[in-house]
Amino acid sequence: MKNYKNKIKRRSFIKVAGLGMATTALTGFPNILKAANKPIKVGVTTILSGRVAILGQTVLSGMKVAVDEINNAGGIDGRKIEVISRDSKAKPDEAARLTRELVNNEGCEVLLNCEASGATFAVNEVARDIKKFCIHCISETSSLTADPKNRVPWVFRAARQGIHDAVGGGIFASEIAKKNNLKKFATAAPDYAYGRANTAEFMEYLKLFSPGINVTTQTWPKIFQPDYTENITALLNAKPDALYTCLWGGDLVAFIDQASLYGLFDQFQSFAVNLGDLPILTAIKKIPKDVYGGARYHKDIPDTQANEDWYNKYMAGSDVLPTNWSWEADTGMRFLIDALKKTGGDTDPMKLAKVTAGNKIKSPFGVDGTMTIRGEDHTLVNYVIAYGKTITKDPYLANIQQSNWKDIYVHEKDWKKRKKYI
Amino acid sequence: MSTFTLFKKDISIALFSVLFLILIGFFVEHPWPKDFLISIFSFGLLAMSLNMLIGFAGMVSFGHAAFFALGGYAFGLLLQSESFLTNFGALSIIVAFFVSIFITGIYSAVIGAICVRLNEIYFAFLTLAFQMFLYSVIVSWVSLTGGDQGLMGGIARPVFLGIDLSNSLHRYIFCSVIFVICILLLRILNKSNFGYSLRLIRDNQERAEFLGIRVFRVKLICFVIASMVASVGGIIMTLFTSGAYPEWAFWTQSGEAIFMIMLGGISIFLGPLVGTVLLRLINDVVQMYSSHTELVTGIIIMIVVLGLRKGLVEYLLEKTGILKK
Repeated sequence: MKNYKNKIKRRSFIKVAGLGMATTALTGFPNILKAANKPIKVGVTTILSGRVAILGQTVLSGMKVAVDEINNAGGIDGRKIEVISRDSKAKPDEAARLTRELVNNEGCEVLLNCEASGATFAVNEVARDIKKFCIHCISETSSLTADPKNRVPWVFRAARQGIHDAVGGGIFASEIAKKNNLKKFATAAPDYAYGRANTAEFMEYLKLFSPGINVTTQTWPKIFQPDYTENITALLNAKPDALYTCLWGGDLVAFIDQASLYGLFDQFQSFAVNLGDLPILTAIKKIPKDVYGGARYHKDIPDTQANEDWYNKYMAGSDVLPTNWSWEADTGMRFLIDALKKTGGDTDPMKLAKVTAGNKIKSPFGVDGTMTIRGEDHTLVNYVIAYGKTITKDPYLANIQQSNWKDIYVHEKDWKKRKKYI
Repeated sequence: MSTFTLFKKDISIALFSVLFLILIGFFVEHPWPKDFLISIFSFGLLAMSLNMLIGFAGMVSFGHAAFFALGGYAFGLLLQSESFLTNFGALSIIVAFFVSIFITGIYSAVIGAICVRLNEIYFAFLTLAFQMFLYSVIVSWVSLTGGDQGLMGGIARPVFLGIDLSNSLHRYIFCSVIFVICILLLRILNKSNFGYSLRLIRDNQERAEFLGIRVFRVKLICFVIASMVASVGGIIMTLFTSGAYPEWAFWTQSGEAIFMIMLGGISIFLGPLVGTVLLRLINDVVQMYSSHTELVTGIIIMIVVLGLRKGLVEYLLEKTGILKK
């Protein structure tokens, strides 16, 4: 009897198991497969309309290089990366709302924020609030990661930082100033937080490395201003030895085109930190000779095969030349992919944060072929910071000099102490 | 007769609405409806309060969003202050809430005392000028407001009476209750003698004066109340975004509120709220597929304004015979 019961049990078990397997095969297994192959959705907000829409386009094309590489290699444990983008129009509240929408409606598990500074701070708070892993790819405002009150344990930055450029640019410009005895400086910067902070930081370090320099004139055109006549006239009247400008994008193109009509660049030495972006250099009607420009992105800086390859891959999928925003978006995506590989596709913000803090990856844009997201302040270091002099033909920038990161680290630490960030 | 008896129906509808909104919070797990509704609460209060000026009193303000922004900034700045949080502890949110509304009330009383003396285009442009003045202050005073980057570093939301506003459900319910209270307040004002005085002033200011209504005082009170309600909208948005941004004080934000009123309808009490829902829906849906949201919104507003020549709610109510032409 006992054996009989056991037999029934065994038969029942086989039947149940068979039925279970059939059910799993018919319903559950495809679901398991589906879950395994479900793409990892990455939410991206950026500027895709208005005067700087071109930058948003180059963001998407830049990260596409990294996404295509990982997806063509089979994804992360079989899961592909899917980018879902939204146009914030550079409005902070819209960027905040869209970030929530990307997570809540589109099911994005991680965020790559590709906004300019204003909207980046808004997205930073949303990422803090909804506890989603996020990498800021564009904002250069130093306080974003340097100021502890803005820091979020699961949020990082894979972009340039103003203070790094200020130290690098300050050292570079001070050498030119000493050599050419440039004492009186004028500035022309966009009238908003980035323009004012960038100009102040640059001049602070220029004066530090080359004492005796004075700022005699400062002009603050409005962002997206169409006519720069009053600013150009003010600069010409001031007759400085040199000009520093951090105008960017279409504003820089318009300023240079209009200033060239007045022969401004023939009258004094000029430094333009945001000049060295290919779409900018190619959009200017007649590039003035011998203007010192920061190399934002250039296919020859660094002059390596890896950078050349990246440029070719980028151009294969884009109608627009790469910008500074392109390599930053690509870098953000590569750090994200590397972190996802290390967590096996797990998008838990703390797990991703743990493997991202202090992470070093290979990169065509790194000084020695590598870049690091520093653990202590969650920001990118060891990227190429370089200045060159304009020439009128392709590649438009020559005599490139790279900044030394040892100097940058020393002065950055002092700056943080002065700001009471550490 | 007590207020409760007079407005029994409205109070009952308000209670039912709160209950309904709370049920949505508890039973709809997906976060999108809650997020969407919070933005409706916020911008809805901006549009409804603006319609108190435009629809009730005939004062077309182009600078109403200034009070929305001021409420948001005051609330955010208070909750970012260490000393404020230390002094008020768990009650910080409640104190900040009322202090922000009070600050907006004082500011709007000063602005209103200057503006409401004027009529039509002069009133409209002066309110616009004061809005842009506030915008300039926000953008320029970087050390306090964060300038064009807005309030940075998040906003503290200490738990009070068991309510944790960093929890999305708690935040949603809190905002729902505040929203319904504000709408009920506007409804009571609309239906009260004060509301009738406003409509009389709107239709014939001289006659109102002859009948003994102190026009300046009534208009100023209306201006201040509308501003304070708009500031509640800003507070809700600050709670939601954990920040405050200068764009809220830009003239386009006031323009958007006027679009909301035009879409819904100026003469129907809840018309601006329907307009808010429509405008947010159009914006959100179009944005999923295209970046040309302004173009689509502009075309729809043109169709409503030129085609219907009235708000959508007004048109539908007329078509169904509920509202007589």
